Amino acid sequence: MSCPESLQSQSYFDGEVDTTAVPNMERHLESCTECLGLFENLTRSRGALRLGYGNMRAPSALRSRILRAIDREIPAKAAWRVRSFWWGAVSGLGAAVAAIFVVFFVPLLASNQPIADDLVAAHMRSIQSARLIEVVSADRHTVKPWFAGHADVSPVVADFTSQGYTLVGGRVDNLDHQRAAVVVYRHGAHVINVFSWRADWRPMPAELSRRGYHMVSWRVGDLQYCAVSDAGRNEMAALTRLIRSIAS
Amino acid sequence: MDDMRSRFDAEVLPHLDAAYRYARWLSRSPSDADDVVQEAMLRAFRGLNALHGSNVKAWLLTIVRNCHWTALKQMQRRGFVPLPDEHCAADGYAMISTAAGPEGAAIQRDAERTLDELIAALPLDQREVLHLREIEDMDYREIANMTEVPIGTVMSRLARARAALKVHWSVRCVGEQLVVP
Repeated sequence: MSCPESLQSQSYFDGEVDTTAVPNMERHLESCTECLGLFENLTRSRGALRLGYGNMRAPSALRSRILRAIDREIPAKAAWRVRSFWWGAVSGLGAAVAAIFVVFFVPLLASNQPIADDLVAAHMRSIQSARLIEVVSADRHTVKPWFAGHADVSPVVADFTSQGYTLVGGRVDNLDHQRAAVVVYRHGAHVINVFSWRADWRPMPAELSRRGYHMVSWRVGDLQYCAVSDAGRNEMAALTRLIRSIAS
Repeated sequence: MDDMRSRFDAEVLPHLDAAYRYARWLSRSPSDADDVVQEAMLRAFRGLNALHGSNVKAWLLTIVRNCHWTALKQMQRRGFVPLPDEHCAADGYAMISTAAGPEGAAIQRDAERTLDELIAALPLDQREVLHLREIEDMDYREIANMTEVPIGTVMSRLARARAALKVHWSVRCVGEQLVVP
């Protein structure tokens, strides 16, 4: 092949020459017998090759063998699908549990908030009215038996004067449809009401603040305590520790 | 996965014949080609999610090519020496649709046997480029991408293959009935 344009002629034959070069190639083929011969030869061999091999098809036996093999692939994918089903079921169950928690417990947690409000209101009422103390006594042996006849519960009653918390008496407040026992302490200028009532399963937050009043709650058996005061949080915590240190 | 299967049937399966033809050109024996095609179709099915382009045929033929080379390397590792090709038209090239009468068909078969021998005599890299261009009608760029060589190399391999074919062609003297205008 001596013509320097032969590769270009081949490109032209294969439709790989860009349109601007096509007129040049056509002129060249008119004048160059070698490239014209090449062109004819390429046409002929392409025809023969396409005729001989262009219609070759995959044997039907091979085709069905391949399709069977692919069908065998699908159960493997289906196994993954079963796993993903269980995974989906478990996560779905988890989501359901979370939803139940949100739907039931959040309102229940919130439902104890009215009690907190009641406690603060009861505390404020007790200070503003003359009804702070129904049984005036610094003697726990007077206060505790008094509760037995007036309240639904019998809380811990003790005097902590030496620690700065003086027992001044007790009273009964209606709280959560019960007659709650209230033990009243004085700490400096502060009054601390320690409410106690029969607990249900609803939890009270250990510490809570409402309108500047602090509340510290704890539970002993089925007895729910809540100390309410305008005293500082640390002072209340100290009284709480003292009360909790005494076994009822 | 039914959707994967239907996508495979719609997009890949139509190119099974092209995959088979290519495998036959690459492989030494029809049974090797069968194995290569089956492996390639399975890989194509498993890798269907990776297929984003529109040129499914080039994608599938690339897989065929990779499977062919993998199989060849395995054979070489095992010291397997394949039997030489017999180039018998009856064992693979029998499905010719344009046969015109028994006599014409006989002449054509003779011509094809000659063509088989001519093609078999070509080096593999030339044979491959020739096949992709002439039979599968792929352009230079597609062939270059598939065979991982520059376009210039595709062009020179193609020219050499065609020249070799032409030399043998004139020696063997193939009848004019094979010329397609």
